[in-house]
Amino acid sequence: MNPFSHLSRRDALQRLGFGFGAMAASDLMANVGGSLDSPLAPRQPHFPAKAKRVIHLFMNGGPSQMDSFDPKPTLEKLDGKELPDSIKKTLQATQRNRVGTIWASPFQFSKHGESGLEISELYPHVAKHADKLCVIRSMQSEIANHSPGLLMMNCGHPVLARPSIGSWVLYGLGTESEDLPGYVVLMPSGMPTAQSRNWTSSFLPGVYQGTHIETNAKGGEMIPHLKRRDIGSGTQRNQMELTKFLNQRHLNARPGDERLDSRIHSMELAFRMQSAATDAFDITREPETIREAYGDTPVGRNLLMARRLAERGVRYIQCYHGAGQPWDNHSGLIPRIKGLARDSDQPIAALLQDLDERGMLEDTLVVWGGEMGRTSTIQKTGQNDPEKWGRDHHVDGFTVWMAGGGVKGGMTYGETDDFALSVASNPVHVHDLHATMLHLLGFDHEKLTYRYSGRDFRLTDVHGSVVKDILA
Amino acid sequence: MEKLNSISIVVVVLSFLPTSTLFAAPIGNMSGTEYFESKVRPLLVKHCYECHSEEEEAQKGGLLLDRESGWLEGGDSGKAVVPGQPEASLLVGAVQRLEEDSAMPPKYSLEQEEIEIFVRWVKGGAPGPAEDMGETEFSQLGDQTVIFGKAKDHWSFQPVKKVTPPKADVANWNENPVDQFVFAKLKKAGVKPSPSASQNTLVRRISYSLTGLPPTDPALYELSMEDLIGRLIESPRYGEHLARTWLDVARYADTASTYRADTKTPHYYPYAFTYRDYVIDTFNEDKPFDLFVREQIAADLMGVGKDAPELAALGFLGVSPIRNMSHDFIDDAIDATTRGLLGMTVSCARCHDHKFEPVPTADYYSLYGVFASLERPEPWALEKFPEITGYSPSADTVADYEEKRAFIDKEIVEAGSKKKKGNNRSVKETIEQTDLAELLLFHEGAPVRAMTVSEKKKPLEPTVFIRGEPANRGERVPRRFLKVIDEEQLSFSKENSGRLDLANKILDPKNPLTARVYVNRIWGMLMGDFLVDTPSDFGLQGEAPSHPELLDYLAAEFVENGWSTKHLVRLLISSQTYQQRSSHREDGNVADPENELYWRANRKRLKVEELRDSLLAVSGEIDYTMRGRPGPLWGEEYSRRRSVYGYVNRFNLDPTLRNFDFPSPMQTQGQRTDNIVPPQALFLMNSPFITDQAEKLAASLQFDADTDRPARISAIYQRILNREPVENEIIRIGRFVDIEKNRKVFAWPLVAQALCMSNEFLYVD
Repeated sequence: MNPFSHLSRRDALQRLGFGFGAMAASDLMANVGGSLDSPLAPRQPHFPAKAKRVIHLFMNGGPSQMDSFDPKPTLEKLDGKELPDSIKKTLQATQRNRVGTIWASPFQFSKHGESGLEISELYPHVAKHADKLCVIRSMQSEIANHSPGLLMMNCGHPVLARPSIGSWVLYGLGTESEDLPGYVVLMPSGMPTAQSRNWTSSFLPGVYQGTHIETNAKGGEMIPHLKRRDIGSGTQRNQMELTKFLNQRHLNARPGDERLDSRIHSMELAFRMQSAATDAFDITREPETIREAYGDTPVGRNLLMARRLAERGVRYIQCYHGAGQPWDNHSGLIPRIKGLARDSDQPIAALLQDLDERGMLEDTLVVWGGEMGRTSTIQKTGQNDPEKWGRDHHVDGFTVWMAGGGVKGGMTYGETDDFALSVASNPVHVHDLHATMLHLLGFDHEKLTYRYSGRDFRLTDVHGSVVKDILA
Repeated sequence: MEKLNSISIVVVVLSFLPTSTLFAAPIGNMSGTEYFESKVRPLLVKHCYECHSEEEEAQKGGLLLDRESGWLEGGDSGKAVVPGQPEASLLVGAVQRLEEDSAMPPKYSLEQEEIEIFVRWVKGGAPGPAEDMGETEFSQLGDQTVIFGKAKDHWSFQPVKKVTPPKADVANWNENPVDQFVFAKLKKAGVKPSPSASQNTLVRRISYSLTGLPPTDPALYELSMEDLIGRLIESPRYGEHLARTWLDVARYADTASTYRADTKTPHYYPYAFTYRDYVIDTFNEDKPFDLFVREQIAADLMGVGKDAPELAALGFLGVSPIRNMSHDFIDDAIDATTRGLLGMTVSCARCHDHKFEPVPTADYYSLYGVFASLERPEPWALEKFPEITGYSPSADTVADYEEKRAFIDKEIVEAGSKKKKGNNRSVKETIEQTDLAELLLFHEGAPVRAMTVSEKKKPLEPTVFIRGEPANRGERVPRRFLKVIDEEQLSFSKENSGRLDLANKILDPKNPLTARVYVNRIWGMLMGDFLVDTPSDFGLQGEAPSHPELLDYLAAEFVENGWSTKHLVRLLISSQTYQQRSSHREDGNVADPENELYWRANRKRLKVEELRDSLLAVSGEIDYTMRGRPGPLWGEEYSRRRSVYGYVNRFNLDPTLRNFDFPSPMQTQGQRTDNIVPPQALFLMNSPFITDQAEKLAASLQFDADTDRPARISAIYQRILNREPVENEIIRIGRFVDIEKNRKVFAWPLVAQALCMSNEFLYVD
């Protein structure tokens, strides 16, 4: 049933805001006509696009860019020195008072692939896919803290409750999966910082909200009420047929009310979903070789499920590394980041390879990154043992990379300055990233709007421009 | 011909141009206009128009640089160009990158020669283009003078006018003013209304409209229409049902929107429930709506006692999603008050004048001053909330509470100033915010307090925050009401926050919004569609009413009858408009597919609370205990009480509620979406809650060996659908039972569940 049933068709058209200018009116009507039957029915975007779905690998906590994908040889000369005051002044107030000395990365970088993309030794497996990666080294966000950072990265605003990018994408494109939710958030267990606000549909209809699934739970429990245990499937089928008979009789006496028909279909979909969802989340159905490639770890299982969902037409899949903010390495960065990278390196590489081999990488946009980056200076300077050092939050110049789905591979975009503390060229604000992601999915980010509270809202608010140089 | 036209346009435009342009001093060897067109305009096009021109549909910071008026009047930060004074012109400073925050263009610097051109141009009097665009609709976006001009003619800002309802020439459509107005519009459109629904249908429909429950009592079918309405409206179930609509508007929940990261527990509001109970009592007592509003905004300023139950009304402000006193708390209070009560989107004017509505930023900060003058105890300052009367738990319950409390208190004392390992948080505070708060929230023997706010010692004299940034102070504004409704804008009391003044302004007989907005909400709830389709937005951007005269009639009638909700509800329910059949008719569908004219009643889906309550009602499990602490809606130890008493965890809203369109209590909500998604079906197919109800229902029918099959089916139908089964339903169900009998499955609970999953159960005709 459509989310706009209380509105006239004209209102629905206005609210959907698919940009009258960008599409022929007849296309628009056809598309919206479909959506009036189901708010989740697949729809065409504003223009033809390469990416049909997104897998967002969220390294929540904020991975350190100069230890992973943004080599900074300039820091080696400065290692152990104090930051000049002029640079210190540019840091956000929360960081300014506890800046330690400059700390060059303890990890080695080397060139990989034909492109010679530089990646640190933390990612030996991902490095094999260097030619697939488009590394943006000049990301900028607003507030150097986790909750606002996560909300900025997901919802385009650090504070206000705005719809998440997954909700916008689902709203724009619908879903190709007939028997699974269209926007799925995978988490080994628990919640990231800022919780369900990260996948809220806010003022968009609730049907566009992300479905949060804890993948460490056992098969049937990941989706509530997915299975009935006290009766056999034959009995349930029999009961569904009886219900359908009652509903059909009821419907025949009440022609003209589309909702009644939609609900009959919805019950059938739910019945199918019982087995489809069980199947989608059951990674034991994968061949041994595939499971080994991803690794039998929380992240490995998560990403393998992500691929199975992508394959089944789920539109937006977000995989968090873990509950809270695991990449938040204020201390003990060396041992911790080694562990975090080890947890995710092999699974991410396996995902890229697996998608590629299935021909899915070209229409699946993979996005890797956190809500921010980290400082090039030491936190916990008092300690003599480098193993105990950490890095602080930083939003002016951090790294996000993308692969597949219409972005160029084997390239870097943007640069940080010699101190790795500000953007030296080609800044990409989170709004720009969002505009670019929507562009890759076929949307003009300024025209994917929704009317709420007397105003047309969009993911990028009044900001954002598409980073054209990275489009394939 | 074409040429002629363009010439005449130039002439007209030129004649309106400011003289400065025409007679601008030359710059170098060029005329001022030539200099602008050949030197300045290309730079503006290249570097500025992307964000500051009509062509790009962008006026960031409210600034347009494609016309003279654009740079002369400037944007949110002030005048962009002061002719002759480069050092006073923000535009020059911006391209010179004097300040990091305002450096333009944002991502790169202009060449030195380019900057020089701007300086020379401004020094030379900043001559404008030969053909200036002047004011256009686009440039007037956010222009409050223009918007106020439009508001003068906008329907919702006109006084409420009660006109005599037009006579209807069909007898039974001439008795109720609602029908007379509706009939007149139908007649004009050439559409006939529908005949009355059957008695059976009406009993079910009215029972849901007035109580949110199915008509399980057979006696209801024997009553006259008047008695039926009278009996249901005086039932305590009525207040519980109507309260839920208001609780959506009040974004009610039992927790704040955030949680403690270390314990993963929400920030509880242990006393929010007293507000919910107050709202239920209000509707049951038919407390006049004006008093209801006044108490919710300013009960503490109305001279009530320190333990008066009315203090619970302040929960309207107290149950905010924002737990601490902050800009966001104030913003939410402004939003809930203005959208909830006035249908005005004032909170859009936090950072700049409203782009579309007659709300200057100054008005936002006037109200900001009101709510910023409040003290709000942190939710865990548990003893700071006033204890109120009206609850009397049994001595045993209190004793049990005190025992548990003593135990926790002892732990708190022992904790002293200890810090938790790992995160260094106070152990005492952790116990207070978790164990103690949970005890206070869920234990029936705990003291009952009102979730209030109180006055600061000295009220705040607000200033505008430019672009919404508190560090960026603008002009001072008094605490006062919205200019568009209150032209005089006299200042509120200097003695206190001015909340009582605010309430009085909201309820002023001259305020055209409040009664209209409320009447429309009640109409929408009963009729299944609104007269104004944007129930929380009556502004320029909102929808116009489908029946303006009817809306006004109801608003006036409501106020004249002492702001009595029950009077209004009776009037609507006894109308033919309400009592029509809901079935579709071909002629009606062709003429008015959206049923905006009300040629039929709207078939309504049960809301999630109605669905849950209905399941408990038909199973016989329902517990009609009123008031008190919230309980779990589902799960192992679920409460049997009505859903309005269910626990609402705002920080992690229950997924089943979410799947059934329960609105997010993060902000005031005027209407619910009506989605049909598979998780709803999964809940009805597989949840232990429904299978439990189905089993209890089958057991409660107490069939014995002699009860034959048709009698059993009839009993189940009567209980769940309030009607007799027809022949082929009996046959079809018989077949189902036979199949399951062969499988040795006890079929009757499954039959009951099938009926509870049916559209007939879920949709009210």
